[in-house]
Amino acid sequence: MKIPRISPQTLRVLERFIEHPTAWRYGYELSRETGLKSGTLYPILMRLARFSLLETKWVTTEDGVPPRHTYRLTPKGVELVRSLPGAAPAAARVRRPAFSGGRA
Amino acid sequence: MMPVAYSRRIAALLLRFAIWIAPHDILDWGRGMLSELNHVQGNWAALIWAVGGAGVLAKHALLSVILPGSHRRTISFASELFAKEGPMRKTTLAAIVACAVASLLFFLAPVFRQAFHVSLAQWNDVFHIRLTLRYQESDLELEALARKAERNHDAEGMAFVAIHHWNKSESVRLADEAVHLDPKLTWIYAVVAVQHSSLPEIDRWVSELEQWDSQNALPHIIVAEKIDIDQVVHKNIPHRVQEQSLAWHNALATAFQSPKIDDYFGRLKDLDRRVLLRYHIDDPFRAVANVCRRLPSYTAQDTSRYAKALLESGQTMEARGDRKGALGKYWAVARFFQMLGPSGGFFVRRELQEAYKRLEALSEKEGNNAEAAFYASLADQLGQDAGKELTSRLNSFRGSDLSHWNAFLVRLSGLTMLLCGGLLTTCALAVIVRGRSLRLSSLLPSRLTLTLGFGGAVGLLLSNAMLYVSYRPYAEILQRFIRNGDESGLSELSDFLASTRVPLGAQGFIHVWEFVFYFWFGITLLCILALLLVALRHFQHRTRANATI
Repeated sequence: MKIPRISPQTLRVLERFIEHPTAWRYGYELSRETGLKSGTLYPILMRLARFSLLETKWVTTEDGVPPRHTYRLTPKGVELVRSLPGAAPAAARVRRPAFSGGRA
Repeated sequence: MMPVAYSRRIAALLLRFAIWIAPHDILDWGRGMLSELNHVQGNWAALIWAVGGAGVLAKHALLSVILPGSHRRTISFASELFAKEGPMRKTTLAAIVACAVASLLFFLAPVFRQAFHVSLAQWNDVFHIRLTLRYQESDLELEALARKAERNHDAEGMAFVAIHHWNKSESVRLADEAVHLDPKLTWIYAVVAVQHSSLPEIDRWVSELEQWDSQNALPHIIVAEKIDIDQVVHKNIPHRVQEQSLAWHNALATAFQSPKIDDYFGRLKDLDRRVLLRYHIDDPFRAVANVCRRLPSYTAQDTSRYAKALLESGQTMEARGDRKGALGKYWAVARFFQMLGPSGGFFVRRELQEAYKRLEALSEKEGNNAEAAFYASLADQLGQDAGKELTSRLNSFRGSDLSHWNAFLVRLSGLTMLLCGGLLTTCALAVIVRGRSLRLSSLLPSRLTLTLGFGGAVGLLLSNAMLYVSYRPYAEILQRFIRNGDESGLSELSDFLASTRVPLGAQGFIHVWEFVFYFWFGITLLCILALLLVALRHFQHRTRANATI
């Protein structure tokens, strides 16, 4: 099987997701954790979602505050990412402390 | 510094605008970015967040315009998914192709093709070194025109080539053929003879000109010049006017007695216009080649020497008491130089002034005070006009600042066009060579290649636009001249074209050929350096390979 080329930025985002595959994540939170600017992060998220590897959901956190867009890997996404040679081990290897209070 | 609330407000506005232009299928993502904006810590960070997000949305908006339907694609190949830069590459590639196509579309406009031709004029001296060193070079366009004119038995077409051709024998042949076909074109003998002063055919031509236009002084001046040249060739140069041959004196005496002097400039311009229109020649350099043509420069030299001799002989006659004879001599000088007009008589104004002063003195001696005062006023007027004429000549020599600036823009955009076009072509070739295929799917440009290619494409488009805008007013002047004979702005066009011939960076050199020398010296040096670098890398590689074994 041909090994797909994964950009370091995509890998960084996947690492964040694969740490807690069931958790919903915010865009800004992911941006801070990965160090990626919005201009880099969102195209990655959009692409993952387009290929049904990421699901999105609007959540209301508190009254008066606009709902937030949240993201999580789909089972297909988790499966695919774990099957990628190099991706999952890399995710397991590189563990960075998550920012507190980021999960929905 | 910007107040705190403003940056956040601008950020929100920016994202809202980007959401407004974004395609329908990514609206949720845009709204997601906007909602996250409320949670971004720091106002400047919020602004940066918004700029990044707006960039993503704008990119998708652009992509949806260039590649409609690209947003509803459903594929799930892992390899495609992880080709991270895919959509960005596609957008950039689409932008590069769009810019390149737009740049090529410029060439559909005849004005732009003309502008491009003018922008290349600066390379003429650099690449045609023989021409720079004043050697004759064949002119393919003129030769093709000559063949066409001969095929069509078009006397005016042949006359046009005869006047514009560098090659003497070709000029003579075509001039003879043209006059043979249409004797009304006999005047072209004078124009060609002025260009090539030592032709053996001049004697025959002058006798034909004398018959055709017997009152014109120009053929006699041409004869005098030919005698001068023959003397130089035979190293028999007379130091005083009195030592000149009888033929020279006779020729100029006839010229001074002629009732008119016509350089056939008006006929020449009309002929040029007619031929340019007939053969659809839109080369501006060719069109204005004869615009500044006036009487030959030797007219002033020969006639000035002869006038001095006439004034001296008048003085001798005056001393002998032959006032009538003296008056005739002085008056011949004054009449001839008046006939030359302010532009033609500029270089002989001293002799004309001297003639007026002598006429003034002679009138005073004869007690004719009114006539003396009249000649005195003419001499004064001439002195005053000389200053104005000199200023006007200097201004016309310098040209206008506007034409210099536009010529600079045209040369700069021409140069940028070549550089950007070269860069774009190199990038395209590099991608094709690396992909080893012409199939779009196998072309995977690197980020650097994409950036360079994008820069080249945008630069090409911008330089094309700049070239078109800078040249357009001159194209209009040229069209007005060719179609309607409207000469307004023609001197401006002539200045502009003269400036476009000077290569960029050659202004500091006294002679263009010095610049050409340094240019080729620099190129040779760079080539040698590149060769040395290649050789060095080759030997380094060999050493490493030997070490591995």
